[in-house]
Amino acid sequence: MSQEFHVRAERLIAQERVEGISTADQQWLRQHLAECASCAARADATEQAIRSLRGLSVALPPALASRTQFRVRMRAQQLRGEPRWRMVWAACGISWAFGAATAPYVWRGLEWIGHRMGLPNIVWELGFGFWWALPAAVVAVILLMENAGRSGESVWKRQEN
Amino acid sequence: MSATSTAAALNGSASLLFSTLMADDKKSLALGLRRRDPELLEGLIEQYQYRLFRYLLYITGNRERAEDFFQETWIRVLERGHQYDGKSKFEAWLFSIARHLVIDWQRQKKAQSLDALTNPDEGAPMEFADDDPSPLHLVLTHESEEAVQAVLGKLPAIYREVLLLRFQEELGLVEIATVLSAPVSTVKSRLYRGLEDLRALLAGEAV
Repeated sequence: MSQEFHVRAERLIAQERVEGISTADQQWLRQHLAECASCAARADATEQAIRSLRGLSVALPPALASRTQFRVRMRAQQLRGEPRWRMVWAACGISWAFGAATAPYVWRGLEWIGHRMGLPNIVWELGFGFWWALPAAVVAVILLMENAGRSGESVWKRQEN
Repeated sequence: MSATSTAAALNGSASLLFSTLMADDKKSLALGLRRRDPELLEGLIEQYQYRLFRYLLYITGNRERAEDFFQETWIRVLERGHQYDGKSKFEAWLFSIARHLVIDWQRQKKAQSLDALTNPDEGAPMEFADDDPSPLHLVLTHESEEAVQAVLGKLPAIYREVLLLRFQEELGLVEIATVLSAPVSTVKSRLYRGLEDLRALLAGEAV
């Protein structure tokens, strides 16, 4: 039998298992294997190798799933507690744009109120500064409260452990 | 209509229904992951624990490490659930997350990788004594599992990995390529080489 046939058979034996072969190739291979003992042995050995691989089992560590589920639950809680940064940034952006657009009116308004009430200029100017900084101050307070809440939670977790 | 064609039509609509159901499953899975649904995640951990742990064990070669990576993988699934598109197989996405964690860890260590999943030429396979009885003999004397484990340990991880994904996890070539972030041609060549080496090692031939 030609060496070429054996080479083709070897290639098809692997190809059949890795990616599949055409019906014509399958027929040719079956016929060749029926006639060639060494190629048939090779096909058997390949099949045996795959079967052995499929038969492998591993022992799972005890309570692996429940321990993982616990960790995932804790992390999910943590994630739920994290501030929604996109929302925070969007709120900052909107308040900045609104502040910039209304600043001249607020300035004039506060100036008018200051003069009507007979306040020194520095007072209503400080008021304007406070009005400008208010949104940032609110966000800072929210973040500080978030952080305080989270550090309290981690103390609780440490105690629980 | 003949009985054969009726059966074929029924078969066709059944497979269509099955694939629609599968697609719906994947979509609802993707939605649940996006919502970080805790019950869904707990169910997935239960469902995939064996397959994921086995995969990690074979690519790391170490139980403790595989266990750590197992937990980290699920944390990643929780954090990055929104990245699952609901089109590909969930297990392929899951394995690729696990694989990336292992590769990141290898890169951080900067030591000789376990078996260098990233580079076929690197990586020392797990060794065992040369004077062991022939693996084929062990197979024949009902110690096949140990023999196969030992032989598998001799294969470089890049071959071991594709063999496991193909023949244990029954993933398709495209899905394996997704897990590996490699072209299908690379997957094929690794499978051919891995299968040939596995066969030869089990037969006690030198590779």
